[in-house]
Amino acid sequence: MRKQHNIQPPKWADRFLAWYCKPEFLEEIQGDVHELFDVRLAKYGKTRANLQFGWDVLRFLRWSNIKSNRVNSNFISMTTNNFKIAARVLWKQKTNTALNISSIAVGMACFILISLYVQQELTFDKFHEKGERIYRTWTKEDYGQGQEFFYTSSPLPLAPALEENIPEVETTIRVQSGRFLVGEGENRINERISYVTPNFFDVFSFNLIQGNSVDPLGREDIVLSEAYAIKYFGDQQAVGQTLKIQIGEEQLDYTVSAIMADMPTNTGFQMDMVVSNEDLERFYNPRALTAWFNISPETFVLLKENVSIETVEAKLPDMVRKVLGDEVEEGQYVLGFQQLGDIHLDTAFPPSGLPVGNPNYVYVLATVGLLVLIMACINYTTLSTGQSIKRAKEVGIRKVVGAQRGGLVWQYLSESVLITFFAVVTGVGLAFLLLPTFNDLAGTMLEIPITADSILLLVGIILFVGMLTGLYPSMVLSNLKLISILRGSKSGGRRAGMFRKSLVVFQLLLTIFLISGSIVMRQQLNYMQNSDVGYQKDAMVYVDMYAKPGTSGLIDRIQSGFDNAEIFKSKLQSYPEIENLGTANHMFGTSGWTEVGFSDKDGQFRQFTLILTDANYNSGFEIDIVDGRDFDPDLEIDKRESIILNEAAAEYFFGFEDPIGKQLPGENFGTHRVIGVVQDFNYESLHSKVQPLIIAQNGAPMFQGGSDFSINSNPIPKVFFKYAGNSLLGVQATLEEVWESTFPSEELNFGFVDERMRLMYENEARVNKIAGVATVISILIASFGLLGLTILVVNTKVKEIGIRKVLGASPLIIMGILLRQFSLQLVLAFLISIPITWYVMEMWLSDFAYRIDIGVLVFLGSGLLSFFIMISVISYHAVRASRINPVNSLRSE
Amino acid sequence: MKGTQLGEFEELVLLTVGALYPEAYGVAVMDEILNEIGRSVNISAIHSALRRLESKGFVKSDMGGATNERGGRRKRFFELTAFGKKALDDAQELRMKLYKRIPDISFGQS
Repeated sequence: MRKQHNIQPPKWADRFLAWYCKPEFLEEIQGDVHELFDVRLAKYGKTRANLQFGWDVLRFLRWSNIKSNRVNSNFISMTTNNFKIAARVLWKQKTNTALNISSIAVGMACFILISLYVQQELTFDKFHEKGERIYRTWTKEDYGQGQEFFYTSSPLPLAPALEENIPEVETTIRVQSGRFLVGEGENRINERISYVTPNFFDVFSFNLIQGNSVDPLGREDIVLSEAYAIKYFGDQQAVGQTLKIQIGEEQLDYTVSAIMADMPTNTGFQMDMVVSNEDLERFYNPRALTAWFNISPETFVLLKENVSIETVEAKLPDMVRKVLGDEVEEGQYVLGFQQLGDIHLDTAFPPSGLPVGNPNYVYVLATVGLLVLIMACINYTTLSTGQSIKRAKEVGIRKVVGAQRGGLVWQYLSESVLITFFAVVTGVGLAFLLLPTFNDLAGTMLEIPITADSILLLVGIILFVGMLTGLYPSMVLSNLKLISILRGSKSGGRRAGMFRKSLVVFQLLLTIFLISGSIVMRQQLNYMQNSDVGYQKDAMVYVDMYAKPGTSGLIDRIQSGFDNAEIFKSKLQSYPEIENLGTANHMFGTSGWTEVGFSDKDGQFRQFTLILTDANYNSGFEIDIVDGRDFDPDLEIDKRESIILNEAAAEYFFGFEDPIGKQLPGENFGTHRVIGVVQDFNYESLHSKVQPLIIAQNGAPMFQGGSDFSINSNPIPKVFFKYAGNSLLGVQATLEEVWESTFPSEELNFGFVDERMRLMYENEARVNKIAGVATVISILIASFGLLGLTILVVNTKVKEIGIRKVLGASPLIIMGILLRQFSLQLVLAFLISIPITWYVMEMWLSDFAYRIDIGVLVFLGSGLLSFFIMISVISYHAVRASRINPVNSLRSE
Repeated sequence: MKGTQLGEFEELVLLTVGALYPEAYGVAVMDEILNEIGRSVNISAIHSALRRLESKGFVKSDMGGATNERGGRRKRFFELTAFGKKALDDAQELRMKLYKRIPDISFGQS
């Protein structure tokens, strides 16, 4: 052993041991491991001895061996002490602490949930790695005289033109989705499939998790989302399997080339099946490939790095001139770019494939969330300022012993930080618990992310909220004058009292505002859903028809749908519970009905909405005829050339003249004649006024005369009827039976009109629900606050109440005294809330063409409600206080 | 403190300390356990067991004199206390008491 004395164990391990080990154990431990090292060195050689030495050192790294951290810092020990004291104080005032923690926790949970939703909306498509460089094209055509077209989808030749003419464009991506039948034989499912440029996955950051991730979009390849891979192939390996898809007239075999992770909720693309559009003619009419006035896919461009968007946009007019030449005049055809991340919340651009949300709602919700949190913070501030009188002695003693003002402020801030810490932890727990309920209620798919960032954010929130809420009370406490405290007078209380009272008023104000606001929102929603839209919507069922496979051309496809509808209707007719049978090619609750534009005889551009129906449309939906007559099912002429206008169209085209028997003021319409006028019924959303509408059985004359068309919803006819049976399951059974025998190879797709209507106002309903939840929570928080204050007031007034009782005051009078404290504040808050609520809600309501007026009842209701809540919160303690035996409160001083 | 229960490994270490007297220190205990029982134990485990036994009062320890090996570092020698001896006796007795109650039949001799 002596021989190898010069060989030492690895230095780093030795030093590490010396670094962590408690000094009192170091010698024996070091001795033992060194001895073992020497033995092993002799036995096994250097390498193994070194390794085992390192291992031994690691194994000694145990809690009991580790040096305790003895940094001697006044700051740290004061902070520890502060927190210790804070914990004791909080533990002593259990009711107060519980009220504070629960109100901040509830407020925090509400804030977290709402901010998750807001964050989802604000981060829409902002996660793409190359997102900064991705833009979507928009086009504005303006031919004067109101003939304006603005769209964010684009003509097909735009993409190659951009790549050819603008060197800064790295690549372009065309994205479009459509519905195709997937599968074979009887089990075909109508699915939404996106057809995109093959480099889609290179440009947008959607993860491919299985299969070919380099080049997944070959001509016959399809990429499925995880969910769809499971839907179609279950547990089997989906990659490599084939799916039959009908595109146009062809049945094509697509091979699953890759699986992508399900798209996150904050993207507008929301694709489940993606195929390549490399073979453009498979998806588009060959003529459309070169047509500049036919819009189809959305075109995205990826700019090269370090290229400013302005320089690229500046080159667009030249490009338009080059590719369109003489077809348009200067300024008639304008192209532009919109940043990918801006699309979701920019209502200035018309939506196409990617959904556009209302940014106002996001801001409204963000404000509501913040308000609730603020209310919770106010609770703490008012309650602890109120407590300050009780703790004045403590401050006095501390000051006598030599505490500085700064130190006192820190001490009280530690209290509020500690409270906030517990509250935030509870709040996060609550948020986790309530998330499913919230998702259910609001129709969202939110998740709480657990990342380092969010934890850091929470710590930040704890410190910020803790400081904010604690700042005022700690100032008040540390400002108390030593002499006056010890002498026993309560000076300085008046100003603090004022501040506290105004905070209470502010808090009540927010509560009343939220209550009235959500009442108004609810009223507007009810109004929209229940208002007389001018047609029968209850119990109305619609069934999607199909064009015969292989029919091409829109008019033929619509006609084919009508033919199928006739067959289907004739079978349904025999069921007694089915009434008001009819057909129409657009259904209520969808927007984007066929729009036809034409230039009239004076050169004025005019537009109207066109719906193609059978003769039973107006009678089926119980739409009133105000002039002329309805279609007659037996008249052949009605089927060919009769049209019916709505009142808006009658006024638009004919002013005050009687329209019956007249023709539309355009040149090229086929033979047609107005036979009647129906009452305006609200066929689109109540956000907008009723537009001119023409109802026709034969679309051909109308299509002849129009020069511009836009159709943004499925124009294939739907059969509708009123279901008089009383079981919803009955409809399904009946329909399935009839459908099976009529169109065995197609999928049955049906729905209820009122359900569709409800979906149309989903956005409003969601905001209303979230705001409703926030209102309930704010009521809760305000009640906590009031409860705490009541306890406080009762405590400070124990003697007064005792003396009053001795002098013969009845419990009722004592309750009155306590109530008076708060009712003045409530009345004040109520009065201030009226103009604020009125102003804000007027702004919200101005979004709707058909809206309610804000009535007195709203304010009366919310005022009464808040008064009632206040009474019920206060009365328990008031009653208890008024029943205390005065002896108990007066015998000790 | 976990009370004065004697765990299996602790009992083993305690016995070894008794047997090695007066030369019982960390590495010696470890070697003895390896040689007598064939059980390979890390030195750190021995140390914690010894420290636990000491805090329970079963052993006491003293630092020895300077040594020539191990870089001149001293060793901590452990010896059994009367209380530790009693704990071993109790354990032994309990074991024997139960052992004697095992009826023959449970040896499977039928």
